[in-house]
Amino acid sequence: MSALSSDGLDGLTNGPLEEAFKRLKRSVWVFHLNTGSCNGCDIEVLDVLTPYFDVERFGIKLVGSPRHADLILLTGPVTIKTLSKVIKAIKAMPRPRLILALGSCAVGGGIWFNTYSTLGGYPKLEEVLKKVGVEVDKVVYVPGCPVRPEAIIYGAAVLLGLLQPKVTHRRMVAVEG
Amino acid sequence: MVKFLRMLAISAREGTATRKYPFESSLVTPEFRGRVDIDPAKCVGCGACVRICPPSALTLNYESDEVVLKYFIGRCIFCGMCAYVCPQDAITITKEFELATPELNDLYDEVVHTAVKCNVCGKPFTTVKLVKEVEKRIDGGDMSPLFNTCPECRRKLTARRVGSGVTGVSVE
Ligand code: SF4
Ligand code: SF4
Repeated sequence: MSALSSDGLDGLTNGPLEEAFKRLKRSVWVFHLNTGSCNGCDIEVLDVLTPYFDVERFGIKLVGSPRHADLILLTGPVTIKTLSKVIKAIKAMPRPRLILALGSCAVGGGIWFNTYSTLGGYPKLEEVLKKVGVEVDKVVYVPGCPVRPEAIIYGAAVLLGLLQPKVTHRRMVAVEG
Repeated sequence: MVKFLRMLAISAREGTATRKYPFESSLVTPEFRGRVDIDPAKCVGCGACVRICPPSALTLNYESDEVVLKYFIGRCIFCGMCAYVCPQDAITITKEFELATPELNDLYDEVVHTAVKCNVCGKPFTTVKLVKEVEKRIDGGDMSPLFNTCPECRRKLTARRVGSGVTGVSVE
């Protein structure tokens, strides 16, 4: 792949973690964590695992426990009910902890961003994680409602530093006529 | 065993089902809706899209000299309502879905408008472009003296005018 780059370590600066992350590029084990999503994104995650998209091509494999996982596929807006379990699951992961926030809910809270029963996506969860002292080494946000299977694969490639992100912040001045 | 042989025949006929993405282009149907694109040349900052957007992915922020239309892709549900409702056809639905990024700030698009300040209270309340557009559409009319007055002050002014008209007493 021509877009291959070694850049992808922004969140990882200390030695052993960096080493571990480099080794990770070959085969990532993922744990699917639903934090109260509508199951739209979850079904797309299943799609990615079927032979049609077959992420085992890249060595990505679904595991049943966060203790075995390198990467969490986080879907949903993080409801208050799931919060304690989500923190436990992320805490159970060995370092380097990687998270792929999938879908509009996980990225920005989606339509639930300001409801009473949800936290409002990963950015809000990150604040809570900081408070309880759980460190996460790298996060990639993957918008979509639901995320396409291709978008998930693209997100994983961005996370592992195989592809460069395409979107950038744009500030455009309205032309006055 | 026989079953297995039958499978072999089927797989030989059907070939490989697995898609090669990211090494090939993805399946994007004509109906597919990706992120939206706001044309800064066409947008007048009317806020119709902001009102219709279900998750408030689009917001209008009134700053002292600017009115900023912000689009947060990370909250957009790709419903396309904004493109449907925009009176200026400034919004197009693109097929772009490869939006993954480690930086949350990358997911913001901003269109910066020059603000019009209320000539009574001084609060920024609309955009220069919108005032021009409305002027063009209603062709002057007797609204023009109130063009640069914010809705709140306009209400007060009208109430005063009507009040003094009815009672004959001028209220200041
Ligand atoms: S509806 Fe169209 S013209 Fe009005 S603010 Fe939105 S993009 Fe701009
Ligand atoms: S597509 Fe829907 S959710 Fe996205 S900005 Fe437009 S109205 Fe809002």
